[in-house]
Amino acid sequence: MKLLQASSAALVAMALCSALYAYQRTADFGFGDDDSQSNTPAEFYWSRLSYTAGTGSSFGSYGGWGGYGGYGYGGTWSRDYPKADRQVLLAMKRLTRIQGRSTEQVVNLDSDDIFNYPWVYAVQVQTWSFTDEEAKRLREYLLKGGFLMVDDFHGSADWEEFMNGMREVFPDRPVEDLDNKDEIFHVLYDLDERMQVPGEQYIRTHRTYEKDGYVPKWRAIRDDKGRIMVAICHNMHLGDAWEWADDPEYPEPFASMAFRVALNYIVYGMTH
Amino acid sequence: MQAAGTRFRYMFQFFFKYPIPVFSKGQFVLLGAWPGWVLLLLIVACMSALALLIRSRLPQAAPKISKWRAGAVWLLQSLLIATVLVLLWQPAITVAELAPQQNVIAIVMDDSRSMAIADSGSDGKLTREAAAAKVLEGGVLAGLQKKFQTRLYRLDSKVAPAVKLDEIQPSASSTHINDGLKQLASETSDLPIGAVVLLSDGSENSVDGSGDLDLETINVLRNRRIPVHTVGFGKEQAAHDLEVNDVRVAFRAMADSRIPATVTFHQRGYAGSKALLVVRDGNKTLGSQEITLGPDGSTQVATMFFSPGGAGAKSLHFSLGPLAGEENLQNNSVTRLLGVTDDKRRILYVEGEPRWEYKFIRRAEDDDKIVQVASMLRTTENKIYRQGISDPKELENGFPVRPEDLFSYQGIILGSVEAGYFTPLQQELLREFVDRRGGGLLFLGGRFSLGDGGWGGSGVADLLPTILPKSRTTFHRDPATAELTAAGADSPITRLMDDPAKNIERWKKLTYLMDYQDAGTPKPGATVLAQVNAGQRKLPLLVTQNYGRGRTALMATSGTWRWQMSQPLGDMAHDMFWQQLLRWLVLDSPGQVVASAPAHTLMDDGRIQLSASVRDKDYMPAPDARVTAHFMGPDGISVMVDMAPAPDNPGEFRAAWTADKPGSYLAEVTAQRGAGEPVKGAEKSRGGSEDLGTDVLPFERIDGVAENFHTVQNRDLLEKLASETGGRYWKPEELSRLPNEISYSDAGISVRDIKELWNMPVVFLLLLLLMSAEWLLRRKWGVV
Repeated sequence: MKLLQASSAALVAMALCSALYAYQRTADFGFGDDDSQSNTPAEFYWSRLSYTAGTGSSFGSYGGWGGYGGYGYGGTWSRDYPKADRQVLLAMKRLTRIQGRSTEQVVNLDSDDIFNYPWVYAVQVQTWSFTDEEAKRLREYLLKGGFLMVDDFHGSADWEEFMNGMREVFPDRPVEDLDNKDEIFHVLYDLDERMQVPGEQYIRTHRTYEKDGYVPKWRAIRDDKGRIMVAICHNMHLGDAWEWADDPEYPEPFASMAFRVALNYIVYGMTH
Repeated sequence: MQAAGTRFRYMFQFFFKYPIPVFSKGQFVLLGAWPGWVLLLLIVACMSALALLIRSRLPQAAPKISKWRAGAVWLLQSLLIATVLVLLWQPAITVAELAPQQNVIAIVMDDSRSMAIADSGSDGKLTREAAAAKVLEGGVLAGLQKKFQTRLYRLDSKVAPAVKLDEIQPSASSTHINDGLKQLASETSDLPIGAVVLLSDGSENSVDGSGDLDLETINVLRNRRIPVHTVGFGKEQAAHDLEVNDVRVAFRAMADSRIPATVTFHQRGYAGSKALLVVRDGNKTLGSQEITLGPDGSTQVATMFFSPGGAGAKSLHFSLGPLAGEENLQNNSVTRLLGVTDDKRRILYVEGEPRWEYKFIRRAEDDDKIVQVASMLRTTENKIYRQGISDPKELENGFPVRPEDLFSYQGIILGSVEAGYFTPLQQELLREFVDRRGGGLLFLGGRFSLGDGGWGGSGVADLLPTILPKSRTTFHRDPATAELTAAGADSPITRLMDDPAKNIERWKKLTYLMDYQDAGTPKPGATVLAQVNAGQRKLPLLVTQNYGRGRTALMATSGTWRWQMSQPLGDMAHDMFWQQLLRWLVLDSPGQVVASAPAHTLMDDGRIQLSASVRDKDYMPAPDARVTAHFMGPDGISVMVDMAPAPDNPGEFRAAWTADKPGSYLAEVTAQRGAGEPVKGAEKSRGGSEDLGTDVLPFERIDGVAENFHTVQNRDLLEKLASETGGRYWKPEELSRLPNEISYSDAGISVRDIKELWNMPVVFLLLLLLMSAEWLLRRKWGVV
């Protein structure tokens, strides 16, 4: 009995400590009062979308602004987080004139705070789902000029799941395949020759695809003036390429391509 | 009041023997043989002797005569002696008087349409013209003809002789008093004109539109010493009327823009009432605004915004009212001509780093069909990303280094880019772009902008509308709210709502800016349209100024993009603001050929003085150009006129032309240089000549409208004309004395007459008054 009581007390204490830690982590990503690098205002914030996962292994995990860290950290939205984000930010700082914060920003669709971050990155989007309010907010975000890049979902089943969420946002807007002439592939680097960028599993399997996603799909949803609002990177895993770019076993061409794509998409999002 | 004035003049002449003009125009003289100083000495001596005598006898008279009573007696006796002494010196007035039957009196009668208004005569039912004729025929004309020769003239847009009064009918469409009097003075230079009698309501509506006398007219009349006696007809103020005084609106506008019009008006009899101000293009209403009318007689100003629509020459009809019971409904509206252009205007946007402000400014301009933004963005240290370029070679080598390349743009935006990015030559080009080319330059806030970008110490610091702080840490990524200044409340740049008060409130509701920059102190002549609340401080946010032929502005933030992202979807505040700011930046940037005229709406007078400023590709004056004006008008009018270089202004060309028929006209000015044959319009030059450009100026002639305005008697103008020329303003009922008083003039053939003053009744009254006063005082004090 005493053992049970002690175990319970320890569990409660651990839960409280975890909650406190989560709160502190979350505060680090806002405009808090401290002067840490995480709070330095900048022009560009690598913003990762935290969303409610409707399917998949992390069903129900959600956090985001003010509370993701306690139980949401580790959900599908945070795949490769935060190392992938910071690796991209390093590349962006080195290779462009964009003044970005060196740490990432987590955003969600629960509040209007997302409107302060006009460029958002989301992964594992086959698991996302939106409430009506969230879908409306994301729709308005994109129509006002926000830019969304999605990555790391593979195969036809994932595509259907992704589109289920996307149709809540834009029921009628078509998804189109981007051709090589599209401005997004030339805004910074000329990316006429693109390959399928595999995830870290390539080191073990030497397969560039996952599930039945054999061919990389470079797709987009445009606004009424033809500007890309949602850039869709299907059947590839750019996030892993950024994250594992410093792994000697991960092929450099994949990492280089992934960085170039990221920088092109960022510059496109900041110019169109 | 009129009777009182007449009685006063009658009484004056009774007591002083002569009419007022004798004294106002004559000179006082003493006809006595002895000099004036002797008179003065004698008066002083007599007063002193009298004082000594009274003082010596004062003790005997006390206590009945105190000191002050003795003083009063001394004063009265001294005045009496002084008056008698002055009379002994024979005072008189010498005055110039027109020689009988040797001078001509020009009787000028206004025959414009406003003289047909029936508000004159004793019963107020006679037309002004009839009342004038009645007064003349009632003895005034005969009285004048006894002493002088008279000549009758009619006055409208010019003066013309008339033989009889009844041939003058009030039907002319304009009244040009200035021009008419100048013409009269010129045409009668060989005649001994003794005076001019002008019978008019004073409704001057000359081409210049000022409605006032011009100095030249006054000088011409003064040089000939011709007094103008004015006789005013018509009511001096209306009982119930609303009149539009003027409408000021730009001559040119961009298609699909929203532009302001400033309407001045006044009313009588409707204080506190509401009236609707409407602007129409044909049958299409472009805008309306409800106005609350102010106090009677006071001039009110209202600014209304409207959208003139698509490209073309628009004849805009501004109307106010009408209100119930108005006496004159024809003065409630005016017409103005507006040239609306859809010519593309191009802006070069130089941005030093990818940032959100760049993106959202470009997006705002995507919706503007007129203004196109060509941008060069430094994405990396070695890469420039170009957007909005018209051909692959545009900006291929970065920022232009040749004037003809840079000057092809109408505006420039400098984003977050340091001054050092530009070579000294390019900085000089920037200055010339504004100063010589007449372009617009906008500085944005940012990490490398304004003070942080070293612009304060650069070669183009003069262009900045503020004196930048010396610090290089003026850019702050801290939230700040924006608010309008008084100047910004009704500025077309910052207009988010038409009503200035609502506009101020609208700006206060905008979400905060992501950052701000300390832009320093506005320079004299600069206008601060908006400011930011940065903590406890208010800093200039949007400042504009004119510089040379162009204009510059700064927007000390890079955070307006948040207005777009954080305002509700569909809120147009961000896009409207940037579109209006950038349109302001380029609207007045001239082309190489700019045609202009003093007025675009000609009222009753078709004379137009066309000017053209012609410059080459570097925007240097081109005095060697061949410039032609092609006038096109109603009924197929098509006339080519060569424009002559203005000797005092290189690159300026002028031509005078007259639009004989009412209607809408176009003046197409084409300039070329070189040996080729002149070609018309947009055709390519040939034969080796250089086509410098073309500009089209719309104008219109409207007849018969001017007389609908200012229909009450303009007494101020008539009084001013009379007093400036030595004449007098007369009311019709006083005019019977005109034949006598008009004689006192040194115009024409005159003689100087001496009018002795000793026998004026007022002198004897004065002597009697002085003696009686002393006697009465002595009686009162008991010393008689």
